[in-house]
Amino acid sequence: MEFPAVLFPSYFSAGPPREEGGPGPAAGWGEYGQVLEAGPHRRQAETTFVPRRGGTGESWEPADAAPVPFLPPNASCWIPSLVPQDILYHGVLRRKLQAGKSGAALDFTKQLGHFFVDHPEDAFGSLGRLLHKNFYLGNSKLRVSVRPGVTMLPPTLPLAAASPSLCLFSPQRHARDNTIRMTALMEEIGRLEARRGCPRQHLAPRLRWFSHLCRDWLFEVPLGLLADCVHEELLLQWAGLLFDDSCTGGALAWLPPKDVGARMGRLVYPGGEAMNHLYFQDVVLEEMPRARGSPTQFELNGRIRQVAAARADGEDFIGIRSDYHCGVWRVPGRTGAAPTPLQVIRTSVPASCLTVSPHLPGELSVCTQSGAVYLWSIETGLQRLRHDPQTMFFRDHSPWRWSDFTAHPRVLSCADRTGLQCLDARAPERCHFDLFKVGEEAGCQQGERVVLPMYLGRAHPSQHLVTTQFSVYVLDERLPLVPVLKWAHMMKAPPLFAHLTTGGPERSHKVLLGASHTQELLLLQYQGGSRSACQLVGPPQKLHSIASCLQHLPVQLPHRHRMLQQRLGTPAAGLAAALQEDGLRESLLVFQLSEAGDVFCQRLTHEAAQPPAPTSGDEAMTAPGSSPLFETPASSPPALGTLRYRRWLKALSEGCGEPTRHAYPATLSQKRLFTRKELAMPAGPSTLHGQLRRQLRQTMREGGCIQRWDPLASQPCTPPQPLELAGDPDPLSTRLTAAWSGDWGQWWEERTSFNMAQRQRALRERRRRQKRARGRRSLSASFTSSLTYQSELSELSDVAPTPLSPGPPAVVPREGSPPAGVPPASPLPDEALLSSQSLRCRGIPKERRKTLRDYLAVWADDPPEPPELPGSQASQLCIPSSQSQLSSASQPRRKRPRMGF
Amino acid sequence: SSHEHKLNFKKSKEVCLNYIQDAMLQKQWKRAAEFLTFYIESLEKDFSTAYMGPSEMIWRIGTEILCHHSHSSMKQFNSFIEQMKTLGVKRYLKVCLEHAFHLLCNGLIDEAYQNLSLAESWRFGEQTAIQDREMKLIQAYRGLLDYCSWSKQKNILLEHGQNGFEDLSVEREMHSCFRKAAVNLKEIIKVPGVWDLFVKCYVDLLEYYGDHNEACQVLNEYAYNSKFPANPNAHVYLYQFLKRHGESKKSLISALKILHDIVPSHELMIDFNTMLQKSKKRKKRQLGLEVIFAALDYAGWKENVKAWSCLARQVKQIVISEKHLDWIKQEWNSRKDWWPAFHFSRYLAKRNWQENESLSYEKALVAGILLGKDCKYFKYVSHQGCKAQVKRFRILKKFVNKHNPVYLRISG
Repeated sequence: MEFPAVLFPSYFSAGPPREEGGPGPAAGWGEYGQVLEAGPHRRQAETTFVPRRGGTGESWEPADAAPVPFLPPNASCWIPSLVPQDILYHGVLRRKLQAGKSGAALDFTKQLGHFFVDHPEDAFGSLGRLLHKNFYLGNSKLRVSVRPGVTMLPPTLPLAAASPSLCLFSPQRHARDNTIRMTALMEEIGRLEARRGCPRQHLAPRLRWFSHLCRDWLFEVPLGLLADCVHEELLLQWAGLLFDDSCTGGALAWLPPKDVGARMGRLVYPGGEAMNHLYFQDVVLEEMPRARGSPTQFELNGRIRQVAAARADGEDFIGIRSDYHCGVWRVPGRTGAAPTPLQVIRTSVPASCLTVSPHLPGELSVCTQSGAVYLWSIETGLQRLRHDPQTMFFRDHSPWRWSDFTAHPRVLSCADRTGLQCLDARAPERCHFDLFKVGEEAGCQQGERVVLPMYLGRAHPSQHLVTTQFSVYVLDERLPLVPVLKWAHMMKAPPLFAHLTTGGPERSHKVLLGASHTQELLLLQYQGGSRSACQLVGPPQKLHSIASCLQHLPVQLPHRHRMLQQRLGTPAAGLAAALQEDGLRESLLVFQLSEAGDVFCQRLTHEAAQPPAPTSGDEAMTAPGSSPLFETPASSPPALGTLRYRRWLKALSEGCGEPTRHAYPATLSQKRLFTRKELAMPAGPSTLHGQLRRQLRQTMREGGCIQRWDPLASQPCTPPQPLELAGDPDPLSTRLTAAWSGDWGQWWEERTSFNMAQRQRALRERRRRQKRARGRRSLSASFTSSLTYQSELSELSDVAPTPLSPGPPAVVPREGSPPAGVPPASPLPDEALLSSQSLRCRGIPKERRKTLRDYLAVWADDPPEPPELPGSQASQLCIPSSQSQLSSASQPRRKRPRMGF
Repeated sequence: SSHEHKLNFKKSKEVCLNYIQDAMLQKQWKRAAEFLTFYIESLEKDFSTAYMGPSEMIWRIGTEILCHHSHSSMKQFNSFIEQMKTLGVKRYLKVCLEHAFHLLCNGLIDEAYQNLSLAESWRFGEQTAIQDREMKLIQAYRGLLDYCSWSKQKNILLEHGQNGFEDLSVEREMHSCFRKAAVNLKEIIKVPGVWDLFVKCYVDLLEYYGDHNEACQVLNEYAYNSKFPANPNAHVYLYQFLKRHGESKKSLISALKILHDIVPSHELMIDFNTMLQKSKKRKKRQLGLEVIFAALDYAGWKENVKAWSCLARQVKQIVISEKHLDWIKQEWNSRKDWWPAFHFSRYLAKRNWQENESLSYEKALVAGILLGKDCKYFKYVSHQGCKAQVKRFRILKKFVNKHNPVYLRISG
């Protein structure tokens, strides 16, 4: 085990990290770091220098434009994972994010509401059963027989329900007497849903009253306790969404062929609806890797979080971690031998790490979130090396722990978010040393935390990889605390998965880093460690993510596209790679597992002895003004992959096709729009009602649809009519013409006299009608109306004439274009709708009646006076003649602006 | 509004940067270069107070692109860097240093030297701690280059000396190089860090001019100052220096003992073991056994024939002399539960036999003594050896059979 004779220069200082703010977005580029004289001193030749970063590496080019599905889609049905929108208060997310604040508002009430709706038995079970006789939900009125004694209803409901012994009457009568009508409350609740988002939503006194009354006794679990639990769970879920470390290490493993040159390896991955099935699939390495036969399957009783594998003594040992169970399988050395389960352990606290020893067969290391580290041997069982709920170097709240093996089979590395320590399993308390510290020693940033440590034993026995959310480090056990390599990886999400593919002597080692949520994949190359110092070589390279294949797929229907987008965009759950050697040509097959359980594969090819000259691809890719990446083999994955894609898509649509409930046409409950009372017919149906009813029936018979609600949409938009009508120019034009020619005064005279006559006629007509309708009107109403009448008459001289054209007020369907076969609505119904009588019949209380009319009166008041514009919409607003009488006398009439004076 | 404008500008800046990153990570250097020309616009409205402003990003990205772009030349690179140097005062030294590295890696040592000297003379207000470190590094690298030209002139002089004539001008130049190099190198190695390169050069200079005390002091400081990281090379350099100057065995052993404590798996442990085995003191010989056992604990030594033969030799000696069997017992106690699986499994016997016969011979000897004649490893290898009619394996078998009681004493 040689140690490099000369290391790259670097400063060393101890203490907490000094640099703030995290690395910039391009921190990984453009630096050589340091240089070193290359090779031993050759006295004569010119000295040459090698950089720490930026040397020439191997060229690995992606063979395809996108990853290709390697296995059929996972389970028949798949439940999309939680997204922030599910638990955040609606609308806050974006605003908050834009404001740059990290605090998110959890929609706690919604979740609690969901709980009540989804689990009513758990929420209100027993009291619901006790009370259900006393709650009446029907429409008819509840008759309470008034008898002496019965009127003395117990003061509160629960008392009545809980103490039936108090009652002296027959059960039937008792039930009737202790029943209250809840219909109104239910309606109120229904409306509440419909009014979601309305600023006046909170004004539901009946509901407030009810909740005040029953908050203390209605719930099965005390509300405060339940709320605490829901809130805690929400916080946990949110933390998981921000950063989920349970899948650290990844749940995908590749068992390479047993003999050099053999072509059959094995892929170990989880699957099934709950990702609780473990599969061992034989894989033949060909041009495109192919699954051979059906996989060996094991059903476990927990979601598989991590699959770790190592080869010791020619046998593969596979460790499987789920939250509370860890298991180990062995795959014997013979080709095609069946995997056998060896041992399972159960933990009381979720396990956060499981690694398999590459040195000794049947040895593993386990960490739990309680801060315990165990060495687990199949033969001798568990040995606890450490139990410390505190983190090692400074305080961090994360319970995550990790452990891995080192160059010495008895020495284990233990990690938490603050760093790594090495422990000797033979004397864990006494013998340990610090391998890595988040601090100035490694030049860390403030806030930097360890995300994934990995033992790089196959590349060099004493090397370790440590990734943080900012950087990736290579450490040498023989030179602790000082990273031999450091590079800012610039990934958008912290790398949770890593894979090492070793290169032979004089070749670079390939390290693949994978992130979960963003599905990022990064390929790095490094070399050295024994004879020469460690160097990062070649530029880092991004590989395709699973989601990137979406753009190459044929165009889908929007909902299918969305489903695919969701499915392909699920966070990654694992990463593995296989090196395939085929004479001079080498290729690296990179497998990626998604949380939905799909395994995708991509291939990188390496041409030996290729000069670092520009590749033809580079030239082709930079055609100006084009999207260079996707120009290569058209807009679909290449032929070999296309077939796989087609099969995969077909299987996906067969298995996870749209659920049948989507087949129903969309329906809308009318109960949310109107209450029962509002829907009840007035005593005497008006003509409009009749018309609408007729129309509705006819349409129902024909099976068509009514488009009156949206008449404008049904016809092509026609340009507005030109204002000037032949023979009848609009008043403005006439007035302007008159003003231009000088006889404007005369025009005014004509106009006013004409209007006067017209208005008087109209008023008389209105009066007549009112008299007819006055039958059941209150005194005050008539008083008001008479007052208005007079005032109106007195104002006639300066009031613009109210046009009688039937315009569309807010409540009536527009007059625009009646469907064929339906006679246009006359002005009459409008009036009928607004008449005090009809309003009262509809159960609209008096005060609101007035408000409504006032509201409409505003519309009526508005048209600008003297010269109206009959052609414009403004003056077309309907003022039914019967309503001006109702505007209150106490309210002074507004002075209208006098245009033109 | 202007705020909105700023926001939009920021957004498009980010999008552009994403495009650049994407292109670079897919090695599309030309595409990245095109996008970078757009990104340069962001310099005009640099409102950011962020740690890394656009000018630093442009420097980093531009350098990276120019390093990989197929049509870039050193001239273009130099002019780009000169522009970058003027963009940010805080970064000036860093850019200079990186520029020098680029020139050095491309073999342009004289240009790099000029660059470093220029950077060294730069002054701008008060220096921050980081700038101070960068300045020290610049000086150190200049010292390194001075050392390079010194050693070149030294070689010329040596050649001339062989040819029998002296060259005073070369000698004078060489001495001036020495002075410049020594001053700068001496500075940086006072600061805690990993300075293998600089320490080696400085010690070489001192040794040439006969200042052994200073050299020894420098090396001791580098190895034993607790502010410095535990760098195995520091101890190696000290050991090599002591060895070069014919220091006593005792001091050599004490230097290596410390190395053994820090890095038990260091390759010098073989030398250490041989040295200790030759010693007449029992304690040292026991330490030798400890050292070789400890080295073989490590995965990296698993197939090291030298180490196994060292162990085999010493174990054989002890068994034959039948003295100090307790040493073996002591070492074996902490290893007997895992060495058999780690070193002496049947799988390894097979593989070692196939791949390296002498390795399997040494290991079989150790296995036979430690685990007895029924151990899988010994059985397999001796069987194969006898089958292949190799003489030493037959002798080995006889030896182990004869000394089998030892195994019982060790394991007992």
